[in-house]
Amino acid sequence: MPERRVTVAAPEGLHARPAAQFVKAVADSGAAVTIGRPAGGDPVDARSILAVLTLDVRQGEEVVLRADGTGAVAALERLAGLLAGAVPEGEAGDG
Amino acid sequence: MGLAVVAPVAGTVIPLSEVPDPVFAGGLVGPGAAIAPDPAGHRVVAPVGGELVKVKPHAFVVASPQGYAVLVHLGIDTVRLDGAGFTVLAAPGQLVAAGDPVVRWDPAAVATRGLATTCPVVALDAPAGAVTQVATGRVAAGDPLFTWI
Repeated sequence: MPERRVTVAAPEGLHARPAAQFVKAVADSGAAVTIGRPAGGDPVDARSILAVLTLDVRQGEEVVLRADGTGAVAALERLAGLLAGAVPEGEAGDG
Repeated sequence: MGLAVVAPVAGTVIPLSEVPDPVFAGGLVGPGAAIAPDPAGHRVVAPVGGELVKVKPHAFVVASPQGYAVLVHLGIDTVRLDGAGFTVLAAPGQLVAAGDPVVRWDPAAVATRGLATTCPVVALDAPAGAVTQVATGRVAAGDPLFTWI
């Protein structure tokens, strides 16, 4: 299964606003994506904002994204870019 | 039927669409309502009974045993305050009843820092039409805010 590791750039980590933007991007991708930590713990469904919030990822932490299905690699590329802060988030700012 | 969600803070109910943040206002976090809180410092209570699955000074999530999870966010961009003006009264993983205190804060102090004190109360992983019977006007903490169907 394709995977990408990325360091989360958002100052507040994957909390309300960045988490919502990430989950929306996952839904838009149409891919079945999971997010987890490199060491230990079960990855969670990245389509669930509750699951992503509960994962409690802080700024500077590395996460592992995995996806399956058509377009998985491209979806991971875009999602990793979003988490790394490489993709403009529009009016919402950085945190 | 459905889950009764109570107001976590005292203040005036406003539509989520009027929250001064495009992600909350656009419903990206989920459907719900917002409260323009009274300025005096006060306790913030759990909007539903369940497990406090995440608690930060400026925001927390309570998940009911049925799996309904509600996010309470105290002000906008308040993560920048790094907890200043907030006192967490409960621990992550703790079981709370609706109306139990979770955080104490001082909205007037938040406003002094130039940040909006608006409090979105959001149903997580819920479809857009899942929130009904939204209260209008003034609410006290613990008063009915909306129903999650």
